[in-house]
Amino acid sequence: MDSPSTSNPDSVPSGRQSLPRAYLVRSQRERLLEAMLRVAAAKGYEATTITDVIEVAGVSRETFEEMFGDKPTCFLEAYDAVFDVLVAHVTAAFESAAGEPWPERIATGLRALVELLATEADIARLSMVEVTAAGDDARARYRAALARFTPFLEEGREYSSQGGELPADTARFAIGGATSMIFDEIRAGRGPELKRILPDLVFAVLMPYLGPEEAEDEMRRVT
Amino acid sequence: MGKQAAPKVQAGAEGTAATGKVFPDAPALRLVSSPKRQKILEGMLEVVGTNGYDTASVRMVLDLTGLYRQAFYDEFADVDACYLEAFDFGVARLEAIARAAAAAEESWQGQLRAGLGAVLAALDADPDLGRALVVEVHAAGPEALQRRSQAMKRITDFIDSARHASEGAGSPPPIAAEGIVAGMHAVVHARLATGEKGGFRELLPEFMYFAVLPYFGAEMASAEMQAAKP
Repeated sequence: MDSPSTSNPDSVPSGRQSLPRAYLVRSQRERLLEAMLRVAAAKGYEATTITDVIEVAGVSRETFEEMFGDKPTCFLEAYDAVFDVLVAHVTAAFESAAGEPWPERIATGLRALVELLATEADIARLSMVEVTAAGDDARARYRAALARFTPFLEEGREYSSQGGELPADTARFAIGGATSMIFDEIRAGRGPELKRILPDLVFAVLMPYLGPEEAEDEMRRVT
Repeated sequence: MGKQAAPKVQAGAEGTAATGKVFPDAPALRLVSSPKRQKILEGMLEVVGTNGYDTASVRMVLDLTGLYRQAFYDEFADVDACYLEAFDFGVARLEAIARAAAAAEESWQGQLRAGLGAVLAALDADPDLGRALVVEVHAAGPEALQRRSQAMKRITDFIDSARHASEGAGSPPPIAAEGIVAGMHAVVHARLATGEKGGFRELLPEFMYFAVLPYFGAEMASAEMQAAKP
């Protein structure tokens, strides 16, 4: 977190008066969300307190309460912001591979995902681990967030020779398999080495759609 | 800290039925120590499954079981310690159900279909148990997650045994079994977490498809999917 300095107008009281209120409000909100991300990733959701968050953000408790009311609400918004980043990153990669066969686009998207999670430990921790421990609303959010990857997989139905037979839950199964593996790695503290399991993820996601032989071919391509 | 000797949990066909409200046909689980300890464990699972781990309290377990405070603290130091053992107990119970159902089957596919079908039916009968073991475990700390990993590993090992099951079995990479278990877990978890009633047994056909596919191919997977329909 940036510490207040005279070059940062948000933190200097005398400078405040000259900036539009909307700008200050937005940047305070962002600081609180960022603080929630950092603290919850470091301490776990349970142990995170509003005091922690406002101290790290350099924002008053009153402002926190005006903006979010309580810890769960702030967490959920931080979570949404984090997941927006993840989805944008994976979508960009998937779309950058337009024209390539679907399995390769999936591999490209998965590669982008593990690279981001490996680099951004707090994002990885929050989006994949802490959310599962943060109560029913958070878990519902997590499921909805994962469902945002479904469109990438639905293309697999057309690509697959088994398309008509594939169960309704195939996308959820494939996504669930991948996220479960990612969860285990991050929880075990192996987040920074997440790229090691990219071949496994490729296999797990493609296997339900393509069967074992083709999935294994793609797996070898990313090894 | 109270006494925390871990009892040996046995699955046996003889003995009186467990005091739990479900699984009347399941083999009785006889704990080495006492029916009172078992009652507490069952009560803990029900409290956690119904109210969530974070709000679970000794008071709730006592209210449910009708036991006195001292009865709990004679056996367990606190909610956390009790849940850990309750988790193992709940998992052992489901494993016993699966094994009993699979006992009559000779093939890997048959054992999987029978065992998995029985567990899914158990979740239909008692989704609170499912929630306690599958959903709420995530709120229960690292030791609980460790035990969860161990349970998942046992299921993974069984799935992976398909490769030795028959001459026709293919040889997918070792990760195949883990991916299957992870995928099934994700679907079950989602269903339990949303609190939808029932519908677990209906998952068997698609689970058979996903489990059989990497070892026996698409045609067999489709056939198993058909065979598993109720």
